Amino acid sequence: MVSRRIRSAVEPLGFVLPCIAVLGVFVYYPLVQNMIYSFFRFSAFSPEKIFIGLENYRMLLKDEVVLTALRNNTRYAFISVLIQVCWGLVLAAILEDRSIRRLAPVFRTTFFLPVVISVSVVCLLFGFIYSPIDGILNNFLNLVGLGAWARPWLGSGKTAIWATIAVSQWHSTGYVMMLFIVAIQKIPEELYEAAEIDGAGKLRRFFVITLPQVKEMFFVTSVITVTGSFLVFNEPYILTKGGGPGTSSITLAVHMYQSGFFKDMMGYASTIAVVIFLISAVFAVIQLTAFRSGED
Amino acid sequence: MFKRVLAVSILLAMSVSFAAAQSGKVTIRFFHRWPMEPRFSYFNQVVAEFEKENPGIKIEMDSVVNDAYKEKIRVLISSNDVPDVFITWSDSFAYNLVKSGRVKSLNDLLARDKAFAGSFIQSQVKPFTFDGVTYGMPLTIDGKVFVYNKDIFAKAGISKLPSTYDELISTLDTLKTKGYNVPLLEGLSDAWAISHYLGTMFQRYLPADVLAKDYAEATGEFTNPGYRTVLERFQKLVTYMGPNATSLSHTEVRNQFIAGKLPLIYLQLAEFSYIQASKTKPSYGYFNFPAFADGKGDPGLLTGAPEGFMMSNTSKNPEAAEKFFKFLLSKENTSKFVKAVGAPVAVIGSVNSENSYPELMQAIDLINSVKGSAPWFDNAVNIKIADAFMRGAQAVATGDKTIDQVIATAQAAAKVVKSEAKK
Repeated sequence: MVSRRIRSAVEPLGFVLPCIAVLGVFVYYPLVQNMIYSFFRFSAFSPEKIFIGLENYRMLLKDEVVLTALRNNTRYAFISVLIQVCWGLVLAAILEDRSIRRLAPVFRTTFFLPVVISVSVVCLLFGFIYSPIDGILNNFLNLVGLGAWARPWLGSGKTAIWATIAVSQWHSTGYVMMLFIVAIQKIPEELYEAAEIDGAGKLRRFFVITLPQVKEMFFVTSVITVTGSFLVFNEPYILTKGGGPGTSSITLAVHMYQSGFFKDMMGYASTIAVVIFLISAVFAVIQLTAFRSGED
Repeated sequence: MFKRVLAVSILLAMSVSFAAAQSGKVTIRFFHRWPMEPRFSYFNQVVAEFEKENPGIKIEMDSVVNDAYKEKIRVLISSNDVPDVFITWSDSFAYNLVKSGRVKSLNDLLARDKAFAGSFIQSQVKPFTFDGVTYGMPLTIDGKVFVYNKDIFAKAGISKLPSTYDELISTLDTLKTKGYNVPLLEGLSDAWAISHYLGTMFQRYLPADVLAKDYAEATGEFTNPGYRTVLERFQKLVTYMGPNATSLSHTEVRNQFIAGKLPLIYLQLAEFSYIQASKTKPSYGYFNFPAFADGKGDPGLLTGAPEGFMMSNTSKNPEAAEKFFKFLLSKENTSKFVKAVGAPVAVIGSVNSENSYPELMQAIDLINSVKGSAPWFDNAVNIKIADAFMRGAQAVATGDKTIDQVIATAQAAAKVVKSEAKK
C-alpha cells in the first residue's frame, strides 16, 4: 500500500525528469551563465576572464547605440502590432466572410506563402526590390509618376529601418492571419445568424461578434508579435548589413551579436543579452498574468 | 507504401553514411571565403584533385563570403571548433586568431622543408609572422589602386592621370562637367570598402609615427587633427558618388564599372580578374592613390596585404592537414589559381606570361616596385576602432552624423582598447 503510494508519487517525476534535464542544460544553465558572464570582460579568443563588476552595465547606460536599438525595436513592435495583428485580423475576417468563401483558399494560401519562405531568402529578395539601380520598387514609382518618392531605401539612415520593418510585415502577417482564421472558425455560426436576423450589417457583426470572440487570440498574438519584435535579428542583419548605414537600423539582437562576434566584447554582449532577456521576460509575465483566462 | 519506402530509404542512407564513416578515411576540414566564381570552382577542382591523389583523405570544404567569414572564423576559433586548414587576412586579423593559441606554428614545417619555405615572396610572409613565429603562408598578394575606364577618360579629354588629391578632385569635376554625374563610386554599404579608403588616406596624410602610435592598442588615442581632415576629404569624395552609394555593395559597383558605366573605381589588384572575365570588358588602366600636397605620410606606399592559409593546432590529423596545406600552396596549383582566377599570388614564378594577362604582370611589377605596403585599415587597428570609423564614415556619408561625432566615438573606442591592452 505504502510502496504503491510512493510509486504513484515518484512515477510522474520520471516522466517530467527528461524535460527538466533538457531545459536545465539548454535553457537555465546558459541563462545563469550568461548573467555571470555579464560581470566579466573577456575575449572569445582567450580563456582568461577579468571580473569587472558592473562596468559593462555602466557602459551600457552610456552606449548611444543601445538607445538607437531600443528605439528601433519599439518601432518594430508598434508597427508589427498594427499591421500583423490588427490588419491580420481584418484579413482573416474578410477571408472568413461567406461572400468570398469560394475564393478564400486561394487568398489564404497566397497570404500564408511568405511564412514558409526562409527569412534569409526573403531578405535577399527584398534586397533586389529595394536596389536603387534596378530595383522594382523605384522603377515602379517612376513608372506611375511618383519618381520623386524613389530613394535609396536601405542606404539612407532615415528610411533603412522602415524598409526593414516593412519586409517583416510582408513576411509574417500571413502567420497571424492564419491564427485568427482558426479563432474565427471556432465562433458559433448561430451568433452571426442571430445578428443577421436582428439586422446587423457586416461591419457591425465584426465589431460586436468577431472582435469580442477572438479577444484572447488578439492578446496572445500581440504578445507574440511584441516579444518577437524585441528579438528581431535576421532582417536588419542581412538587409542593411548589420544595422547600417551607420547604426541607423540596428536592433538589440544585432548589437549584441556584433559586440560579441565582431568587436570581440563577449562580456558586453552578455550584458546586452541580459537586457533582451529582461524585456522579453516582462512581456512573458504580462502574458502569463493578465490574459490567463481561457483555452487559447 | 510511401511510408515504407521512406523508412527503407532512411535506413539505407544511414547505413551508407555509417559505412563511409567506417571506411577509415581521414577527414580534413577546409574553410575559405570564396563561395563565388571563379574561385569557388577552382577550389572545388583542387580539392577533387587532392582527394584523387590521396584516396585516404576526404576534404570537407565550406565557404562564406567576406564579412560573414570574418565573423564565422572568429566564432569557430572561439568555440574551439577550428577548421584544419583555413584562409586568413594578415596583420592584426591574423594576430587576433593567433592570440587564441589555437593556430599552428609553422616554424617546424618551414625548417624541415626549406624548398617550400623559399618558394614565397619573402616580404609577403612577414605579415603572418609574430614574435619570430610564422603562423600562416600567403596565397594571394594584393594592392588597392584607382582603376579608370580609358575610353571614358579619353572622351572627357583627360590625358594626365591625377598624382595629387587636388588633381583627383579636378579630374572628377571634369568628368562631371562632361556629363558623368557619378564619376566615382564605391559600395558604401560594405563597411570594409570604407575602411580601404580611410586606411589609405590616413596613411597618406598623417605622419608615420603618429599612425604607429595610434594603431598600437596600448598607445592609441586618435587625437591628431589629421583624422578630421581625412574624414572631411572622404566626405568630399562621397559628394561625387551620387545618392545611392550607401545602399550599394562593392560588387554591384564593380559590375557597373565592368559594364562600362563608371569612369573610376577604387579596386584591388585581385579584382582585375573580374574585369578580364567579363564579355563587356572595358579597356582600363590604373594608378596608385594620389598624394596629399599637405600630407606627411609616404605617398609611395601601396595599400594592400596578402591573404594566406593557416592550420589548426588542435587538428586530429595534422599530417594530412599539412599535406593539403602544401598542396594548396604548391607552385603547380598556385599557377593554376592564377590562370583560373586571374589574381596575383605570392609563390615565386606562379604568375607568368603563359597563365596571366598584361595588366596582371604589370600589377606584380607594381607590387615589386612600390616602396612598401600598408595594411588594410580594418586589419591594422583594433576592430572596435575600425568599426567606429567605418560605421561613422557611413553615417557621415548619409548625413546622419557629423565628423566630430565620428571622431569622438573613435576616440572613446580607442580609450577602451587602450585600457584593455594595459590590463
